Amino acid sequence: MPDLERQLTGLAGAIDWPPTPRLNVVLPIYGEVTGLAGRRGWRRWPYALAAGVLIVATLLAYTPTRDVIAGWLNLHTTIHQEQHPPTPSPRPPGQLGSSLGLGTAVTLEEAQGQVSWKIAVPSALGQPDAVYLKQPPSGPSQGEVTLVYGHSPGIKVSGQTGVAVLVTEARGRINENFFQKMIGPESTIEQVSVGGHAGYWIAGHPHDFVFTDANGNFHDDALRLATNTLIFDHNGTLVRIEADMTKAQALQIAGSL
Amino acid sequence: MEGRPADDSVLIARAVRGDSAAYEEIVHRYQQLAFRTAYVITGSAADAEDAAQEGFVKAYRALDRFRLDADFRPWLLRIMANEARNRVRSSGRRHRLELRLTESFRPGDAAPSPEAVAVAMDERRRLLAMVNELGDDDRMVIASRYFLELSGEETAAALGIAEGTVKSRLSRALARLRARVEETANA
Repeated sequence: MPDLERQLTGLAGAIDWPPTPRLNVVLPIYGEVTGLAGRRGWRRWPYALAAGVLIVATLLAYTPTRDVIAGWLNLHTTIHQEQHPPTPSPRPPGQLGSSLGLGTAVTLEEAQGQVSWKIAVPSALGQPDAVYLKQPPSGPSQGEVTLVYGHSPGIKVSGQTGVAVLVTEARGRINENFFQKMIGPESTIEQVSVGGHAGYWIAGHPHDFVFTDANGNFHDDALRLATNTLIFDHNGTLVRIEADMTKAQALQIAGSL
Repeated sequence: MEGRPADDSVLIARAVRGDSAAYEEIVHRYQQLAFRTAYVITGSAADAEDAAQEGFVKAYRALDRFRLDADFRPWLLRIMANEARNRVRSSGRRHRLELRLTESFRPGDAAPSPEAVAVAMDERRRLLAMVNELGDDDRMVIASRYFLELSGEETAAALGIAEGTVKSRLSRALARLRARVEETANA
């Protein structure tokens, strides 16, 4: 049958699909479940911007040297960021990382009491500045713990979030098909070995990461900083280190777990 | 993606700003595709409905991570398909996908005779029955590409495989189907 594909295409309009139901999609409230309002500051952002513009305009109007004032305010940097923002959000208030949708802020001890694996804290970074726990259904089946660092020597702090390093841990394994597909053209992937375990060094601006959690479910997670990321297996726990760091820095942090 | 309305990105941007009506429009636009894709994976209309509903909620949660310069359909289909596969996994059962031919379908000839219609319908039924007899992977890749009319990229997203794997899997599926067709013809 030389025209098999044509015949199959011809069947497209002849399939008796079940009727598409009217979907009852209950959307979460922004800022309550999604954390989106916090991440992007939709509600407060226009007001904050207006207030900021007013203050800057007032200062520029009453000072003799605008360049000096601009220098005080780091105005040039601010303007540049406004012209090319990766995400249009100012550095959010509140606890470090609270705007990133990482889950509930907890202490390290509280997080440890809620998960089955031993949370690994990289000695190269020391104790985290904040810890978040994300449980199902928004988190993977056995939970996800994120350690947040506001600073680390030699690593640039994100002007958007105030975060320098994120270390995220969850039981699961890398799903290579999805993982590689999701990385996108802005990033490159390199296989690495971390302590004898398989890992990936992702350089560029990855945004999403899909992995298979402990129950075999696919879990889609955001790479919050959209910057260089090291992902590796650590005794059955999938560890992600996100930071504006070099590969050597990443491997050093990973090696200190 | 060919045929994709240009204003998807506008709707998405509005939805990301909290405009729920914009997201409702997105749901309305893609609910049939989402539901049918989930149906191909789960083989169950009830599971497909649940998966599509939950998939749209998850997509909404993740919407601010979607890059507006990217294709929306593969992104959405991947979420839907993940949700459908998770349902199959968690229920521990996969309904066998049984595609049927709609009774109201008629070949496109201008004024075919009743006999010609009957022959054409019978040929289509037999071909679809052979597709139904294929293994899960073969059936799903054929259904995705030819019946849902997904692109290679979308099929890869829906089936959770690489785009190159779609091509090889489709090629093997067609070869097996062709063998069945020829076997039947020679019988």
